[in-house]
Amino acid sequence: MGSIRAWMRISVCLILFFGLFPGAQFLWAGGPLEDIRSTTERILEILSDPGLEGSEHRAERRKKVREVVDERFDWEAISRSSLSTQWRNLSAAEKDEFTRVFSSLVERTYMDRLENYSGEEVIYLGEESDGGRARVRVKIVTRKNQEIPVEYRLRSGNGEWLVYDILIEGVSLVKNYRVQFNDFLTKSSYAELMERLKAKVEQQS
Amino acid sequence: MKRGWGLGFFLCMILWIVAPAAQAPAESPRSDAAGGDGEVPSLRLASARMAAFFSEYEARREEVQAGTVLAARTESEVAGELEEAEGAEPPTTSISDPIESVNRAFYRFNDKLYFWVLKPAAQGYRTVVPETARVGVRNFFYNLAGPVRMINCALQGKGEEAGYEFVRLFMNTTVGLGGFLDVAGGEAMQLERYEEDLGQTLGVYGMGPSFYIHWPFLGPSSGRDTLGTIGDSFLNPVNYLVPEAGYNAAVRVYDRVNETSLTIGDYEDLKRSALDPYVALRDAYYQHRENRIRE
Repeated sequence: MGSIRAWMRISVCLILFFGLFPGAQFLWAGGPLEDIRSTTERILEILSDPGLEGSEHRAERRKKVREVVDERFDWEAISRSSLSTQWRNLSAAEKDEFTRVFSSLVERTYMDRLENYSGEEVIYLGEESDGGRARVRVKIVTRKNQEIPVEYRLRSGNGEWLVYDILIEGVSLVKNYRVQFNDFLTKSSYAELMERLKAKVEQQS
Repeated sequence: MKRGWGLGFFLCMILWIVAPAAQAPAESPRSDAAGGDGEVPSLRLASARMAAFFSEYEARREEVQAGTVLAARTESEVAGELEEAEGAEPPTTSISDPIESVNRAFYRFNDKLYFWVLKPAAQGYRTVVPETARVGVRNFFYNLAGPVRMINCALQGKGEEAGYEFVRLFMNTTVGLGGFLDVAGGEAMQLERYEEDLGQTLGVYGMGPSFYIHWPFLGPSSGRDTLGTIGDSFLNPVNYLVPEAGYNAAVRVYDRVNETSLTIGDYEDLKRSALDPYVALRDAYYQHRENRIRE
């Protein structure tokens, strides 16, 4: 009886400990670099799965990759900062729609890229984090003797790290789209922007 | 009967002390070297952690006393602040483009040049020449521009990097059979590349990009980088080995076709993902150059 109570108290202490110290979460969850590594490895696993090879499994393969990517990417944050000032003028439904369309545009582009994956090596260079935000730097070495530096920017949410921007060779995805959206919106309306994005997504499929 | 609380607390303390050592494996070697003893670093890390916690706690308490912090901030408040911060970022910190209409015309020209001439040529070339040979040719041209990188490293005061570029140039020209093999970057030596050019050197000395120029045939550049490219051409051995204009141009075209054969698909991807490929390319060029200068 007494020992059960003691165990309960120990558990209460531990629960409080992990609840009160968000920093203690790394005891079971990996850091930002580990999160990126596990996502990358899961994607590579899908791509090298013999059961999913060939063009007849294309849709299924893409769906699986997309599921893995969606777990790690904060698409709403990516959409919000890409659209910058215009985001505030949107209704909740419009925000959802924009996030959905924009994320599928970005994902499909990178998916096309992934389809050509052929044994490139991913080297994990390191991570820097200050509490809520982190940067993970990796280097992709292609078989054609080229090195592509990639930096993931992540933010911690609910004990996990979520990507809110990717920099490829120093070019930020979010900034690049922000400049494009901004340029577009000085000449045309948001409705036209949405139409163009949808057409872009359609064009690829 | 109440010993459970004590044990639980004790366990938490142990976890708290062990945690930083587990979290920061990268830091421990340095502490190892300093302390010499295996057990010292984790203790030191733990004490550093405690000190950090208490100083943060003190600072927090003072803030509370001063009335600046009324209550613990909720998750949504923090998220709201982030949103504000991101929305408040200047929407366009990109390169200025006063001659946009001319640039767009040249962009359309280069776009057609790529799809009608360069890409078909590169595709034909690709079917004839195996990839290993094409990578060799790429390495050869890259190695030839070694003096440009070396001198610019030196001009930027990066002595060590200039030294590495010299070693790269020397090794790849000799052991690497004139540069076709990247011996210096291979498994055995693993030397980094330092891709410095005069445009970056001018940037390091504080010169801005001035404005965007999309050159026909050559593609994205800026006022500063055009100056840099002209300056660098005096250092590129190609221009001394093949001084005659016609042959020089032929060599450059060959380099370009070879390079294109290795990068087919990159430009297509950019076009497909971009809302406006011209603007996407312009900003990518700007960001890429700024990043290079910062490095």
